[in-house]
Amino acid sequence: MKTSSGGAGGGRPSSSSAPTYSWAPTTSVSASGKRIHREMVELNNDPPPHCSAGPKGDNLYHWIATIIGPPGTAYQGGIFFLDIIFPSDYPFNPPQVVFKTRIYHCNVGTDGHVSLGMLKDGWSPALTITKVLTAIRSLLTNPDPYNAVVPGIAHLYLENKAKHDLVAGEWTARFAK
Amino acid sequence: MVSDSVPAALIPSAANTKNLGKKKRTNRSAKLKQNKIEARREQWLSQGSVKSKGCKDVIDSDGHELPLSSGNHGKRPLEQLETRHRVEEDDGLIHQHSDSESPANSPTGNDSGTNFTGSSGSSSGSSSSRSSSSYSSAGCCSGNITEEDDDEEEEGGGEEEGDDGCLDDWEAVADALAANDKRQNPCSDSPPSHGDESVVQMASSNCEDPNRGPNSGSRNLKPESANLVPWTGNCRAWRADDAFRPQSLPNLSKQHSLPISDRRCGGGVLWSRSAMPSSCPICCEDLDLTDTSFLPCLCGFRLCLFCHKRILEEDARCPGCRKPYECEAVVETEPSVLGGSLTLRLAR
Repeated sequence: MKTSSGGAGGGRPSSSSAPTYSWAPTTSVSASGKRIHREMVELNNDPPPHCSAGPKGDNLYHWIATIIGPPGTAYQGGIFFLDIIFPSDYPFNPPQVVFKTRIYHCNVGTDGHVSLGMLKDGWSPALTITKVLTAIRSLLTNPDPYNAVVPGIAHLYLENKAKHDLVAGEWTARFAK
Repeated sequence: MVSDSVPAALIPSAANTKNLGKKKRTNRSAKLKQNKIEARREQWLSQGSVKSKGCKDVIDSDGHELPLSSGNHGKRPLEQLETRHRVEEDDGLIHQHSDSESPANSPTGNDSGTNFTGSSGSSSGSSSSRSSSSYSSAGCCSGNITEEDDDEEEEGGGEEEGDDGCLDDWEAVADALAANDKRQNPCSDSPPSHGDESVVQMASSNCEDPNRGPNSGSRNLKPESANLVPWTGNCRAWRADDAFRPQSLPNLSKQHSLPISDRRCGGGVLWSRSAMPSSCPICCEDLDLTDTSFLPCLCGFRLCLFCHKRILEEDARCPGCRKPYECEAVVETEPSVLGGSLTLRLAR
């Protein structure tokens, strides 16, 4: 009894104290939630090849995705897990995509962050997670050494692709299988 | 000519203006009905002489219920009059005017008379011209027809004899047949029951009392067919639509019972037809009319006004083609129109 009334009382003052602040995010969250939910449904109905994604738990804004290494590349046979974190104003700002599986790639930072134009300035509200995953997978096939976040790997890729692929394959075998 | 004259004649006689409009609508089909009814009468007359039993029974039933008992007595002569009038029908417009007023004399005559003339249209002028007494007789005849099994067969014969036989007449006959079946087998009912009621009313349009009989019977059926609400509300409304009856009745009832779902379906269909996205691709909210007519970018990428405004506030690029929206003018005009607060927001 006391706790419930206290909880209700606690909730109301907070909202009343900063009505615009507390309400604006919630509305945007609900809107983004709807959009994310629709993306989830569409992704389940028509998943992109060799990719999968879905909410990690109850949190609709925190997804986990998997990308299977494209055949014919150094990442072949690897299963790469990614965390996808949607911002509360999701369609208007890009999701944050992080490789949870270590990968030897010039466009993936040591912390797993993906450097992809689509996820930065190139983001468009019309893009979806499906397209993002497809783009990341194509990035595995064709690294972009000129926009690399790991210069050493980019150098190696440009100068000695065979060695680069060898190392990448080793990493894939070690971390992604 | 005919259609014009009929309503004109009806206006003075019929107290209800509502009925007039309905009559106008249903005039054509009503004519057909009337033809059918007349054909029935002929049949009935011929059979009536043969079958004295059935006639008496019907008369009795009608006689009990009818306040206008006088009409019942004069049945035979009236029928003869009808036949005469039928001959006169070509001239009959004038007769209608003069005679149609007579129904107004009787209390129930208004309703029955209006219904009858309304349903029967121009050709009904002859029937209406038969005078108030002829009403009851006509009512009895029709009542007999609907109630008797044999009348179905008679009707078919009557149609052929009457030379009325267009396709529409045949439809009417079919309806009447169905109606008769219905009435005879009240248990077997529900889908045809619509047609049944309407036909019954049409046929027995002259007498309210016969209507009551069938109505009471048919009301039992109605709840099943979901016509109950419109029916109890206004019988005449349905009567006017009776001209179209079997098709229109169920449709109307559906509309009444399921308005929301129908609307939704219709709206969805419209959207899909126009190949418009039903919802904003950005926020997934349904696009309203304003949104659907809103084309912010030449690339054709559509989005709702809210998302558009939001994007304008940020990078102002079209999500579809990534080109900057050419809405700078709009952005500039907004502060001047709306005042300082907006300019501040934009400045941020």
